[in-house]
Amino acid sequence: MMQTAEQVRTELRNFIEETFLYMHPDIVLADGEELLTRGLVDSLGFVELVEEVQARYGIEVTDVEITEQNFGSIDAIVAYVERKRGGS
Amino acid sequence: MCGIGGVIRPDTGPPVDELTLRRMAAATRHRGPDGFGLARTPGAGLVSTRLAIFDIPGGWQPLATGEGTAMLVYNGEVYNHPELRAELEARGERFATTCDTEVVLRLLVRDGLGALERLNGQFAAALWEPAPRRLTMIRDRFGVRPLHFSLLADGTLVFASEAKGIFASGLVAPEPDPAGLDQIFTFWGPRPPRTAFRGVSQLRPGAVLIWERGEIVADRYWWTAEMDPGGVHADPGELDELMRESVGLRLRADVPVGSYLSGGLDSSLITALAQEATSHQLRTFSIAFTDALYDERSHQEEVAQAIGTDHHVLEIGTSEIAGALPEVIRHTETPLVRTAPVPMFLLAREVRAQGITVVATGEGADELFWGYDLFKEVVLREIAQTDPQRAGEMLDRLYGYLGAPAARRGPGWKRFMLAGDDLDAPLASHQTRIRSTAAIKAFYDPGFAAALGDADSSLIELRADLPASFAGWPRLQRAAWLELRTLLDPYLLSAQGDRVAMASGVEGRYPFLDHRVFEYSARLAPTMKLDQLRDKVVLRDLAERVLPASIAGREKQPYRAPGVAPFFGAGAPAWVEEALTPEALGDASVWDPARVSGLLRRCRQGRVTSPREEMSLVAVLSTQVWHRTHIREPAEWEPESAPPRVRIERGLPASERAPTA
Repeated sequence: MMQTAEQVRTELRNFIEETFLYMHPDIVLADGEELLTRGLVDSLGFVELVEEVQARYGIEVTDVEITEQNFGSIDAIVAYVERKRGGS
Repeated sequence: MCGIGGVIRPDTGPPVDELTLRRMAAATRHRGPDGFGLARTPGAGLVSTRLAIFDIPGGWQPLATGEGTAMLVYNGEVYNHPELRAELEARGERFATTCDTEVVLRLLVRDGLGALERLNGQFAAALWEPAPRRLTMIRDRFGVRPLHFSLLADGTLVFASEAKGIFASGLVAPEPDPAGLDQIFTFWGPRPPRTAFRGVSQLRPGAVLIWERGEIVADRYWWTAEMDPGGVHADPGELDELMRESVGLRLRADVPVGSYLSGGLDSSLITALAQEATSHQLRTFSIAFTDALYDERSHQEEVAQAIGTDHHVLEIGTSEIAGALPEVIRHTETPLVRTAPVPMFLLAREVRAQGITVVATGEGADELFWGYDLFKEVVLREIAQTDPQRAGEMLDRLYGYLGAPAARRGPGWKRFMLAGDDLDAPLASHQTRIRSTAAIKAFYDPGFAAALGDADSSLIELRADLPASFAGWPRLQRAAWLELRTLLDPYLLSAQGDRVAMASGVEGRYPFLDHRVFEYSARLAPTMKLDQLRDKVVLRDLAERVLPASIAGREKQPYRAPGVAPFFGAGAPAWVEEALTPEALGDASVWDPARVSGLLRRCRQGRVTSPREEMSLVAVLSTQVWHRTHIREPAEWEPESAPPRVRIERGLPASERAPTA
């Protein structure tokens, strides 16, 4: 069964916290927080993040979709996943 | 092959006592297990430990040509020594030994430093001239053999093959150098002259350093890697003869020579040429892994069978890697970002146990003939400027060995690999590796990061060290220079080369690093090295003539070893957790305990799959081992108690002479 937007949000938050946020023990992540510009996810981590979204939600991310608008924050990724799934 | 060292004071003041030299001998005895020798003049002492390869009964050091003259301590091999000797004899020189050491000494004394370019080999040496109180230190072109030194506040120079030799003198205390450590977490090894220790420098490859009466009066290159010599392109057909000659020279020894066989093109080619050049069956040695992801044994066996060698395989599992890491760090004298040196250490130990002390090995081919994927990335980034889709599809053909299929790695990976804001930026070719490795630095303790000052200090130093003409070279030539000077000598020839082999008194020989092969490769047309994604073109053409097609055409699989699995779970040694407690991390003050605890939690849960975290774990753990081994609990060396094989004492008052001398 397809996850709801809230489930997606929770899963993404868990993944990001577990994979990247232990590097930033003082940060409490807000859903709108900018992951890249704040340095919470580095460029190599970003590769892992895109891979995770692709694999977990079974969506095909195209080259032109790799933007901060789509992957810059939890809010952005949730919206992107919703759009992609809505369109599929 | 040997270990060397010495203490030279600015003037003839206090003597250098023999016990100091004997401690230095003990610290580098693994490099020269066959015996040691000493030389003392007023205010100066030299020491050598020897692994006998040429002139086994006669070639002991230090070596002096006569009373009151220069003396030499020398670590390495000059393969063309018979030809140089014949020439010197024709000019009237008379030799007391048949060893290459004497050839180097007489040549330097007679012809000066201009003679260095005549030497074909791998060497580090120090020439002591008591009258002018001048010490001249030299290192081979590519940095195969190490040479470390410290200049003390009073002008005294202490030098040794390895830093531990310097510390054994008791005149220099080991302290971490944050800048040297940062270079390891940028390039994988400290770039000479830096080391991981404050106040200890390495001679740069191809450099000569002259110290005179307490001051360094010259520190310059006697050879540099000219990547873009211009002129007419070299004839691809010359490679066959050049490589046969290079391999033939490197089979010269008074002991049996073996060969390392990785299963890839380079070592297969070396092995095939070596077997063709010898009448006896060559002995080959390979590492196999219990984990199939890293294992190449089927390829190795195919090659050994095709060439007809007497093949020996050492199988390595996770427990062997964990068990040997502390001893490896004792020898490398640096933290590591990969565990790959550990199996090389174990293999050398096995080779020694099998009675072999010299092995030919394939390093250098990927640097000279552009075999690494890093060179292909340069090509792909250029293609991506105009045809990103094609570049992306071509990228999918690289890095297959990483396990995940290209499609799974996805477009984020493509963007990371192919994006280049400025393809002509000086370090553009190496940005992905530098950025990948820099992920480690996110674990820095804030105090350590502050001590570094500029977060980009390692890159700033590198940019300042680029050759004057660098900016005018084609992109791939620039990439090749950076590969030589940021990875080959700082890491591959050192932590993964000399140190782990010499730990067991095994000498590696590198036919691709014959300077004539290098100079030939630099003159080749670029497409004879890399043509789109076909790498090492001219080398593959040669390999097709001496090896089965399946081997000659094989895609590169970089040599790697497991990085996390050895240190966690059942069977992991207890010292791992002890080294990583918040207290131990706080003691070393390099890594932030809170961030490391998050990484460790993921390691213990078996959740670490990314190269970023694997590399970080190896860096953190090996730093902790390094700190304990070299800083907190440095070895206290008992002086060598055996009688020296050589003891030279010149100009010493009777009270300072050894009682038995």
